[in-house]
Amino acid sequence: MSHLARLAATAPAPVFAAIGPGLAPAVERLLARPGLRRAATPREAALLLVAGAIPDRAAGALDRVHDQVPHPRRTVRWDGTGDIERALLDARADLLGGGESAPDRRPDAPPAPWRGKGDHGQGGEGMMGGTPYGRPMAMTGADIRDGLQLDRYTARVGPFAPMLPPGLVLEVTLQGDVIVAVEVQAPAFDQPAEADAPDLVAARMLRLLGLPGAADRVAAGGRPRAAGLLRAVPPGLVPVGGRDARDRLAGCLAGRSQEIEPPDLAALLPGLEWAEAMLALASLPPSSLAQEALAA
Amino acid sequence: MTTLVILSLWTALAAFAASRALPEAASTAPQAAPFLGGGTPDTHAWSRYHFRPYTMTLVFVAFEMEMMFMYPWAVVFVSEGPKALAEMGMFLAILSVGLLYGWREGVFAWE
Repeated sequence: MSHLARLAATAPAPVFAAIGPGLAPAVERLLARPGLRRAATPREAALLLVAGAIPDRAAGALDRVHDQVPHPRRTVRWDGTGDIERALLDARADLLGGGESAPDRRPDAPPAPWRGKGDHGQGGEGMMGGTPYGRPMAMTGADIRDGLQLDRYTARVGPFAPMLPPGLVLEVTLQGDVIVAVEVQAPAFDQPAEADAPDLVAARMLRLLGLPGAADRVAAGGRPRAAGLLRAVPPGLVPVGGRDARDRLAGCLAGRSQEIEPPDLAALLPGLEWAEAMLALASLPPSSLAQEALAA
Repeated sequence: MTTLVILSLWTALAAFAASRALPEAASTAPQAAPFLGGGTPDTHAWSRYHFRPYTMTLVFVAFEMEMMFMYPWAVVFVSEGPKALAEMGMFLAILSVGLLYGWREGVFAWE
């Protein structure tokens, strides 16, 4: 092991978690430990933690996430038993020592070949028209904020998006940072009741607010130790039952668990900016976004 | 002149050596895709959006230029007297019309 690798081994291991049914609270508490760091994107991670049995509907998504972890990388599977922290640290030490990196699962080819038609092989005229790599360019559409027509970007986010409950797939249409349409394509995976624990809900919100240290302390049962936390949450954000996201964060930090009617995301989220919407979703207990809740 | 030649030659050589020494960035097709937590996009992410601070920046630049004109004006103010005061008053009045226009257009309504 080189000096550089030894130095790297002293830093917390960056882990991206793909969480299946039943293991969300265990994984969140695991990645709050000091020796591990929860990576916000696969690009930041060295290890992919696959927790629980991933349902078939998410298998393709898992492959896509796996291939986005840069080399050298390793996948560690966990069924909820055994010393997973040891296994993760061992895998990282092996990678740093020159261990073999996991190969791609998906073919190294764009979804469709490049087909440009302009002078320089671009898609079409300017930004309009054409389907480079089989994927169209964004086109303008009606605006819900101030009437200025801007490009609409539609994408499915999830099931392993770290800001959403595991399993939840949202088809989101964005104009800039404003959400103009939302459709729930798949509900969140079923999780044990502990996933709704107030400290875990608070930790998720703190992580989205850019305070991973405070989030780890809260998930480990401590205090956040950050001043003016509540004012970081915009007032009046997605009120459910007369309480907005700021009230919910205050309640969670005070250790009060919350009972919430399953929200209608397609009606609640449009008009919000992306960051606000994700913060509001994180303030809801994940059980309110699971199967029975959304079916009801 | 000699220094310039040496510096430019050195820069070119250093860039060439760095490009040879560093490993090639090997980004595969799956890694070039945007990260959506396993999801897929419908369109490319190259989209036009409203850069909202833009209009506010224009107002800022206008008033910064006004300050620039005020320095030479302050130098001749004593010798010119009330005439200079009247001229600067007209200039500021015209500028503040722009301010009112920006206000009407909602430039200062920060979201």
